[in-house]
Amino acid sequence: MLLNIAAVITLAVTQQTDTTVPVRPGMRLDVDNFGGEVVVKAWNQNSVRVQATHSSRDRIDVEVGASTVSVKAESRRGIAQMVEYQISAPAWMNLNLHGVSTDIEVDGAQGAVTAETVNGEVKCRGGSGQVSLKSVQGAVRLQNAKGHVDVYSVSEGLTLENVSGDISAETVSGDISLEGIESASVEVSTVSGDVTYEGSIKDGAHYRFATHNGDVTVGIPERTNVTVSVATFNGDFDSSFPVSVTNTTKHRFSFTLGSGSGRLELETFNGDIRLRRPGQLHDKHHDDQEDH
Amino acid sequence: MNDTWTERLSEYIDGTLPDAERAALEAHLAGCTACRTTLDELRRVVARARALDDRPPAADLWPAIAEQIGVSSGAHHVVSLAERRTRRVTFTVPQLAAAAAVLLLLGSGGAYLALRRPPVEGGGAIAQRGPAADLTTSPVGWVQKTSSRYDAAVAELQSALEQGRASGRLDSATVRVLTQSLVTIDSAIVQARRALAADPGSAYLNQHLADTMRRKLELLRRASALAPART
Repeated sequence: MLLNIAAVITLAVTQQTDTTVPVRPGMRLDVDNFGGEVVVKAWNQNSVRVQATHSSRDRIDVEVGASTVSVKAESRRGIAQMVEYQISAPAWMNLNLHGVSTDIEVDGAQGAVTAETVNGEVKCRGGSGQVSLKSVQGAVRLQNAKGHVDVYSVSEGLTLENVSGDISAETVSGDISLEGIESASVEVSTVSGDVTYEGSIKDGAHYRFATHNGDVTVGIPERTNVTVSVATFNGDFDSSFPVSVTNTTKHRFSFTLGSGSGRLELETFNGDIRLRRPGQLHDKHHDDQEDH
Repeated sequence: MNDTWTERLSEYIDGTLPDAERAALEAHLAGCTACRTTLDELRRVVARARALDDRPPAADLWPAIAEQIGVSSGAHHVVSLAERRTRRVTFTVPQLAAAAAVLLLLGSGGAYLALRRPPVEGGGAIAQRGPAADLTTSPVGWVQKTSSRYDAAVAELQSALEQGRASGRLDSATVRVLTQSLVTIDSAIVQARRALAADPGSAYLNQHLADTMRRKLELLRRASALAPART
């Protein structure tokens, strides 16, 4: 009975907004939300459709400027508290999405993407050029993107799949997993969490994977030309293929694979560093055997 | 390690060694693993220093922080881009380690400010300016002597964070997560400090400690910048 009453009250105060505005190539979509969700899906029309579920006290403003489409909610009582956005936008459109207690999801973008929230997850499929995804309390996941990628979280993990371009990924507490990466510059660090990388190791390129508490596992393709620097204060190093260590200091050593033209830095204060061939990266059996 | 050549590695990196000495050093490097390792580490430090982003800091709090950690944020003498690009970076090995720690700690915002400080008369090295001016003896000395400034900067930011919480601009769950993350970083800093005390000459431990301290400042900066998000 109580549930029924609650449902009736909810229906009574919830409102739907559905607005479509035309856009021109080069325009950017700005969305600002406090609580709820922002979902942006690409479509093949030169218009932006905004569907929003919100309180009847709130009003959704969709402003079309010379170079931007701005979407935000306003309330007679200050900030609109909860709005669920479902937005369709041209794939070419650059996206600038901000939230506080908001989950953000992007699907099919082909332009630049900025997505930042305080409390919520960020998921992005697609994106090119500048791709910047940040959350304080939420995991960040990026797939099928290319360009200059900057991914950040404070308390959750980061996952990147099929991403190409310069990559920077940083969290405080959480694992960082990168798979299917094509990059000549990768900088990855976490304080407490594991780091896993599977992707290209290119000639002349630079890769750095660092953690304080956690393991670092990197897939090294055959015929890779890279100079590897390994540093660990309290941990072991293990490679599934032979390496010949040349330079050794107390906490760091290095070795060269092939011509050594690329540079790979692997660092963990408390944890192990493992090199694997790409196919062995998720071979738990192999790692378990190593641990015993 | 050959001390004579170790002291010349910086000049070698800068390309300022006379031809004969350069050839002699290269011959020495071919047979000296320790010097090659040191050279590699110095090159990495220089590369990181040069790669620091030059953008201005985003958070308004940064001028106060810069003041706290001994980097003037007042009326800066603006050095031209061309002048900065051509400024040569010359270090002794301990200076280079200290400079690396400074640069890593300050991060992009601090580097932006530091690079805009007027040059000290007669001083060509970054390590002879700013907070590392009298700290050329060892990286550990730098860490110890910089601690009070660092702590002050952290206190400043934590105070801003607390104000954000008290005013309701940051909700309690977010503050809890940020606090827990700070505890995580502090724990890492304590561990790194202990390790460094036992092995003060380790370039890795010096870099790791400086990097972890920088991360704490960066987290606090980001957290402080979050406070206006709800307004």
